[in-house]
Parts: sequence; C-alpha cells; structure tokens
Amino acid sequence: MKILIVDDSKLARMGVVKSLKEVEPNAELFHAENGLEAVEIFRQENPRVVFLDLTMPVMDGFEALKQIIAIDKDAQVIVISADIQDEAKQRVLLAGAKNMYPKPINEEKMLQIFQQDLLI
Amino acid sequence: MNIEFNEDQIDALKEFMNVSIGAATANLANLLGAFATMHIPRIDICDSDKLIPKVNATIDLTSMYYVTKQLFTGKFGGECMFVMSEGSAQNLGKHLYDIENCTDDDVNDAVIELTNILTSTIVSRLTQELDTGVQFFVPSSQFVDAHSIININDVTHYSKIIIISTILEFKDQQINSSIYILTKDEAIESLKMLIDKKIEEIYG
Amino acid sequence: MELQCQDILLDSLENGHMIVDDKFIVSFWNRWLSINTQISKEEIIGRSLEEIYPDLNYKVLGRKIKTALALGTPSFYDTNSSTKFISINRNKVTTSSLTFMQQQVTISPYIVSENKVMISIYDISELYETKLSLKKEIEKVNKLNDKLESDQEIIDKNIMMMKTSLNGVIIDVSTLFCEFFEYKKEDIIGQNASIFKSGNVAEATYKELWETIKSKKPWSGEVKNKTASGGAKWVQSRITPILDENGALFEFHAVYHDITNEKLLEELYITDSLTKLYNRAYFDKVIGSIAKHQRKADTDFVLAITDVDHFKSINDTYGHQVGDEALISVANTLKNSLRENDIIARWGGEEFVIMLKNVTLDEAKMIIEKVRKSVENSKVNNTISVTASFGLTKYNLGEDTHRTFKRVDDALYEAKKSGRNRIVVK
Repeated sequence: MKILIVDDSKLARMGVVKSLKEVEPNAELFHAENGLEAVEIFRQENPRVVFLDLTMPVMDGFEALKQIIAIDKDAQVIVISADIQDEAKQRVLLAGAKNMYPKPINEEKMLQIFQQDLLI
Repeated sequence: MNIEFNEDQIDALKEFMNVSIGAATANLANLLGAFATMHIPRIDICDSDKLIPKVNATIDLTSMYYVTKQLFTGKFGGECMFVMSEGSAQNLGKHLYDIENCTDDDVNDAVIELTNILTSTIVSRLTQELDTGVQFFVPSSQFVDAHSIININDVTHYSKIIIISTILEFKDQQINSSIYILTKDEAIESLKMLIDKKIEEIYG
Repeated sequence: MELQCQDILLDSLENGHMIVDDKFIVSFWNRWLSINTQISKEEIIGRSLEEIYPDLNYKVLGRKIKTALALGTPSFYDTNSSTKFISINRNKVTTSSLTFMQQQVTISPYIVSENKVMISIYDISELYETKLSLKKEIEKVNKLNDKLESDQEIIDKNIMMMKTSLNGVIIDVSTLFCEFFEYKKEDIIGQNASIFKSGNVAEATYKELWETIKSKKPWSGEVKNKTASGGAKWVQSRITPILDENGALFEFHAVYHDITNEKLLEELYITDSLTKLYNRAYFDKVIGSIAKHQRKADTDFVLAITDVDHFKSINDTYGHQVGDEALISVANTLKNSLRENDIIARWGGEEFVIMLKNVTLDEAKMIIEKVRKSVENSKVNNTISVTASFGLTKYNLGEDTHRTFKRVDDALYEAKKSGRNRIVVK
C-alpha cells in the first residue's frame, strides 16, 4: 500500500513513520516537504492514504488538500496539525479530509485512524 | 561549550514549537474567546548582543510598549518575553474587561493574563514534548518606551542565547504582539540534550 | 512522609491561602487570612466570596480560575495593581504611601476534577514601596536631565564655543559659532583651530596664548579670525584649559564674543581720515601711557617728527586737492619704508610723528635717512617732487614727554632753518 506523508518537518514525518511501523508494516512510503510536492507525488503515485500537515511553506495544507481532492474526490486524506482550533477542523472536513488529529501522532492514534477513518 | 544546532535539531525544535504554539492558540480561543493566528516561529541562536537589534527590528521605535517577562525553570529554563504595543494592549483590555475605557491597571492585568496563558501553554507543551518538568514564576509587566524594553547591560552577561520568536495576531480585535522565548548558556546545552533524546526515540 | 494535617501546615504559613472552586465557594481559609481580613474561618467557609467581597471583578477572577484549571499551571494578578483582589488594610504608621497591602496573588490548580484552585496571597508591600520611591527618584532625575538638555540647547544657539584637543584639533563647536564663522559643523570638526587665523594677529599673541593655556591657566584676549568666505571678525576670546581627574590637561574650551563693530568704531576713532595713519589723539594716548607706566620694553624708543617742505606753495600752486594727495603720498612712503611695529601718526597740517621702537639714535638716523630719500624720490601724481625735513631725539627714561617733544621740535626747526630736506638729531 502506498502512503504519502506530507510535512515540512522531518521529525514530524518520522513520527508518522514510526507510528505506522506496527500498524502498516508493509506500506510503501512517500515523503513530501510541502503542498506542491505532495500534489505532484499524489498525481504520479496515486497513494491510498495521505497524512497532511497544514502550515507549510510554498503551498500550505489547505490548498494541497483542495488540489488532491480535485484530482481524486475519493482520496483518503488525514490532516495532522499543530493547529487544533475547531475552526481549522471544520475547514478541512468541509474540504474533503477524512479526519483531523492534533500533533504529535502515536501508534495508538494511528491504529484508531486505520480502524475508524479509513476505508482500507 | 558547543551550542551549534544541526539541521535535525533545529527541525525538531521548530516542530515542537509549532505544536506548542498550536496548543497556545487553542487555549486562547477557549479561555479568552479570542481567535488568534500565530506565525511559524523563528529560531535564532546568536550572541547575546544581537537580542536588542532583533527585538528593535520588529517594533515601532517611537511607540510605548507593554513588556511582560516571565521566568521558568527546570532542565529547560529561561525567560518568556511578551511585547505588545500600547494600542494593542488597550484593545486587549477592552476585549477582556468588556468595558470601553479601561484603567491602566485593567490593561496591565489583561496583558499579564494573555502572557500567562501563552507562556504557560507554550513552555509546558514544549517541555512535555521534551519529557521534562517546568516551574513558572510570577510574571512582571512594565510599560516602557521602545528603547527601554531590554537594558543592554543586562543581556551581555550571557554568551549565547536562543531567541524563539513568533507573532500573535487577533484579527477581529486588532491585537498584535511578539513573543520571545529566551534561553542561555547551560540551558541551551540541556535543551540540545533533550532534543537529541527525542530525535533518537523517533528516528531510532 | 505523608503529611497528616495539611490544615495545620497551611495555617502556619505566613501568607494567605484559600481554596475556592469555580463558583467562588470557599472551602479553606487559613489563619493568616482570618487575622488579616478579620473574617474568621467559620464565617466564610461554605459561602461564596461574592457574598463577602461583592466589589471584586468576578468575571476576571472566574477567567483566571478557569485558566489555572485548564492549563494545569498557575495564573496571576498583576503585582503592580492595587485594586484587583481583596483589600487588606496596612497599619504602617511611618509612611503613608501604601494604605492597603500590596499583594502578589497566585491562583494554582488544586483539585482539577472538582474545579478547585488555591489562591495564595503574598505581602509584597515593602518591595512595592521601594519600587515607588525608586520611581519617584528616577522621575526627578529625568526632569533634571530634560532641564539640562534644554539649557544646553539655549547655550548652543546663543553662545559661541569651541572645544579642542590639546594639539588644537577641533572636537566640538556650538551652532552659533558655526553660523558666525559661516562653517558647517561637520566641515570644521577634526580641523586644527589655526584655520581661523587671519594673519592680523601678531605671532607673539598666539605664543603667549599657548604658553598660558599649556600652563593650565585661562587666557583672554582679542583676536581677529577669518570666516569661511574669507571675511574677518574680531572676537573677544576666553580659553579655559580643562583638566582630567588627575589634574592633567585634557581639553581646551574657548568661548567667543563678537566685538567686530566695537573694533571698527575704535579704528575709526584712532585713524586720521585723510592719510589712514593714526591720528594725534591716538599717538598722544600711546606715548602718554608709555611715559606713565615706564615699562622697560616700551620706553626704549626714538621719536621722529617730520614736516613736508614748502607745503604751502604746493597748496597755492596746485590747489588743495593736490596738497591732500601730496600728504597721502608722503604718508604711504612713511608706512612702506618703516617697520610694522613702528607707530606713525599725522601730527597736524603737514606734520607727521614717528615712534621707532628698540633702536639706538644712530640706527634711527640710518632708518630715517632712507625714509628721507624715499620721500625725495617719490613724485606726487608722477610729476611733483616733494621733500621733507626731520627732527630726531631719543626718549630718556623717566622723562616727561613734553621735554622730548620740545627737543624733537627744536631739531626739526634746525633742519628747516639749515636748508630743509635733511635730518637733525638732538
């Protein structure tokens, strides 16, 4: 299974990678450091799941989410953000994200995501 | 003393700060009913004499400012400094006290309250990420002209400092301020050790 | 060790501690509070703070309690404020600056699940009093500084001043100084003060000036200085040597006063309007002063008097205008053939008087002989020849100048009588 992890912070991406280790050990992982890279990789690889950060340089997560959904309206995007205000959550759910979680993510939460939010 | 941070360490510190600032913003909305935007923090590791020019670059040198400083101690100790222009502080006072003409005391107290929520959340969250404890001291607030925010003689006791700075904006209330987390010498070393431990844990 | 009696522990603390919930219901009130507020435990426990202290801002307190509970860290009141929490009277008699206790109030999370916080009150009145009096002192100093600054501005605009280093390099000048000498401040700082020398002041004056100030004494005097555009200004100057804390020379500060107009008037007053030589009044004053003071350096002089020969016939033949030109011509010849520090004046009519300083009678005779020849060789309007007769005498120490004049007049008379265009020494 192809999974795309989008975050400008390497540590944040590694955090997601670590939490995936047990939950989805055989996944093929792709990394993107900003929204623009994410959209391009999404177009090329058509990953099953996208973990998306919101505040990023070049293109932020809101815009990337819009473009990914425009490419594939059934894309399964989970937003993982430091912005934990309800307002942000409403926006991303409206834009087509499956759910949104506060940073940082751990194994327990990852399991919950795969069980509750994603159609795998 | 080696206080240079490598790319991974800077990246980690930035990420922890993002998380902390996110939590702070949420707390402000929750506790003060004010919806804020906070910018991605800047991290500067520099000689202590660079602090004043860095602060001056972000403010209007002809204005008066409310400056609140709060100390915190623990493995990662330092000082949070919160700088808000007179106009913004008055808007904050109006918003929090819900009256048109706030007294200076009201404005001061409002600034202290905001600072306390921000610094407590940011520093607590940051130290929580770093798996260490923290103790806060009473914040003190001053109303000063732009040139008196920091006394040059006071800062030069330290060799190196880390300046983590961000800007807080409440668009609806027209409130703007700058937040600086300052830490020095030994605290920088222990911060680096804490970060390394965390990196090891996640990358490992 | 597990503490058994928390109540006793909190009662023994020298600070105020209460436990309240988010509805402000008090569930603990320590001894310090009972004593300082005169409200006993029994009276307040179980009741809301609002009943006892209706004037507090409960919206603010409520928010601070909520904050402490939500964050799990303390929240605070502004320590500089005097009106925010319960007021406690202060009984200090020796000062009246604080009637109520200045408090540091901390709201710490206590039992979060029951929405309970501990509010702690620390007395910081003494500290605050110090802060207030310090603030008052600082305000005083600031006021003095402002006054000093405005005084400095007045001085800068109204007084001509110059500061130089020990070797005369200009360090600072006042605005009025710059305006007066037509310089821009930035153009003269770093230059040597000698750029103001006009060439009209004797080198001896400058030498005396330097010797005086180098010996740490102030110097006063009149000097003619040059302006940027090449004009000249007379100034009364006073130069004060500034010493450092060890008593060594540090800088020189000079203050100037414009005396150009006075000098012009003075010159007018002592000058003969036709020949531009000194007039009789001035010569009388100088010689009178020398005779009066009898300074050794001044009394060594030879007095000469000269009269243009046949001046009446020049006037009659060519008219008064040419006669005047003849006088000017002779005056210029005298000025050009004598030394700068010799004093020449028009004595009246066609007579001139000369004071030759520091010469013997023989030397004076040689000098005057040259003058006589120069007069003889010059021609008025390139056509008319004139000659002059001279009388010479040496001033004798202690002598009344009438006697000197009598001798020199006799000498001139003899020169005239014995054929004119000659010198007689008496």
